[in-house]
Amino acid sequence: MHIDLFLTGVLQGLVLALVAYALMIPFRLLNFTDLSAEGAYPLGAAVCASSLLININPLLSILLAAIAAGLVGVATSLIHLRLRVNTILAGIIVSTMVYSISLRIVGKPNVALFDACLLFAHTNVLQNICIVCSIIVALILPCVLFLRTELGLRFLAVGLNPAFAKRQCIVGARYIIGGLFIANFYTGIAAGITVNLQSYMDVGMGVGIVIHALAALMIGECVIGNYNLNRQLLAPLLGALLYQQIQGLVLFLGLAPSDLKFLTGAIVLAVIGLKSKKFAGI
Amino acid sequence: MLKLINVSKSFSSIEPVLCDINLEINPGDFCIILGNNGCGKSTMLRSVAGEHAIDKGRIIIDGVDLTTRSRAHVVASVTQDINQNTIPSMTLLENMVLSYRRTKTASLRFYRNYKSEILEHLRHFDNSLEQYIDQPLGILSGGQRQMLATLMAIISKPKILLLDEHTSALDHNIQQILMQYTLEQITQQKLTTLMITHKLDDALKYGNRLLMLKRGKIILDVTGAQKAALSIQDLEVSYAH
Repeated sequence: MHIDLFLTGVLQGLVLALVAYALMIPFRLLNFTDLSAEGAYPLGAAVCASSLLININPLLSILLAAIAAGLVGVATSLIHLRLRVNTILAGIIVSTMVYSISLRIVGKPNVALFDACLLFAHTNVLQNICIVCSIIVALILPCVLFLRTELGLRFLAVGLNPAFAKRQCIVGARYIIGGLFIANFYTGIAAGITVNLQSYMDVGMGVGIVIHALAALMIGECVIGNYNLNRQLLAPLLGALLYQQIQGLVLFLGLAPSDLKFLTGAIVLAVIGLKSKKFAGI
Repeated sequence: MLKLINVSKSFSSIEPVLCDINLEINPGDFCIILGNNGCGKSTMLRSVAGEHAIDKGRIIIDGVDLTTRSRAHVVASVTQDINQNTIPSMTLLENMVLSYRRTKTASLRFYRNYKSEILEHLRHFDNSLEQYIDQPLGILSGGQRQMLATLMAIISKPKILLLDEHTSALDHNIQQILMQYTLEQITQQKLTTLMITHKLDDALKYGNRLLMLKRGKIILDVTGAQKAALSIQDLEVSYAH
């Protein structure tokens, strides 16, 4: 029983890790506070569910979900870059608009996919973990390698010092648009995997996803730090795994599922408090 | 050739910082710019670099009107603000690669592959910096970072090099080394250079042309033999007027 709970936590943690990466890329690498995951996640789920309903291959459905979600990131970045709208506000505006698009795509607030051909075999959690692990490696490894290339270096420079980057002939807008596409692409993959795992899609499934991913990212950064690129790239994965285990543990100890969002907020605040104390040397 | 035609710039309605500046700098010229604080020297350089949009006039480089376009591909600048010149959280190698490959199309080649070329430049400049190649620039002193910023600007092979009091944070010895290296590179690469300084002896010692600005206008523009004939006293008189 306990092992099942642990393995389910690992599986959910791996999926959340993708959203945590999606948050980390703009937030930590591009210095762009992107909240569009709140809209990209349900949109990805809606696209994936709709594709599965018309018998499209589950992997292709996830890819379509990722592309749709990636375009949400492109929209957010363009609104910020062209209309000079604050990054947070741009994300909120896009997420709000995308909610209607998600509803249009599925035609109703939720869809059950019990008859559809899905990627995961529900009975075998370990097998599901292996599949999600493979997807994460296939997605994150190119990202890790990219950041070690000349192009990746320019990408990092845009986030660290935009004025310096501009003087080095780096067109920051291209990297911001590309970065937000990739970040939300990851969110779309996470949404597609979730739909395949749950055999169910709900347009409200993105509510609170940013805060969950933020909690995971902050836990990861608190545990291993983010003072170099390797640690920064490991933090979302480790944080998401730990965060889901904490959630599993408190549920096991009797906390009501309705209190989980409060707990998430409390975890984020606790980590911020811990970090600021560490920083202040208290 | 760098041409400034009727360039004006103001930050408020009180008084313009640059008033109808007309200037032609020939390729390979090393031009020293003098003037009191607030006379418009840095604004002129920033306008040339494209960091300030000018209110009026045109900026032409090699016959191309770049007034409203980016000049980053032809102009490299080193300012007094070290945070603008480097990225402290990146390593020395990473900073140098960004500058070294500035005008080239970025590739998917691993940036560590440029290490040997970067080390060669570093050795030519100062052997002691080699040990910091994989260290974040933040651990270096402000002077060392300023020194590297100048090196970075030079290795990026710009057509026009803008130096805004780039040696002001350095000790006398390092100043000499850096100026020697800068001079060597300017001559070798035939760089068109504009250098702001407050040191009158440096103004006389370096460069083949000297400009003095006052209240946004050029009040002194001398070259070659005329410049060589100037003394510190002459410059002090010009400053006072």
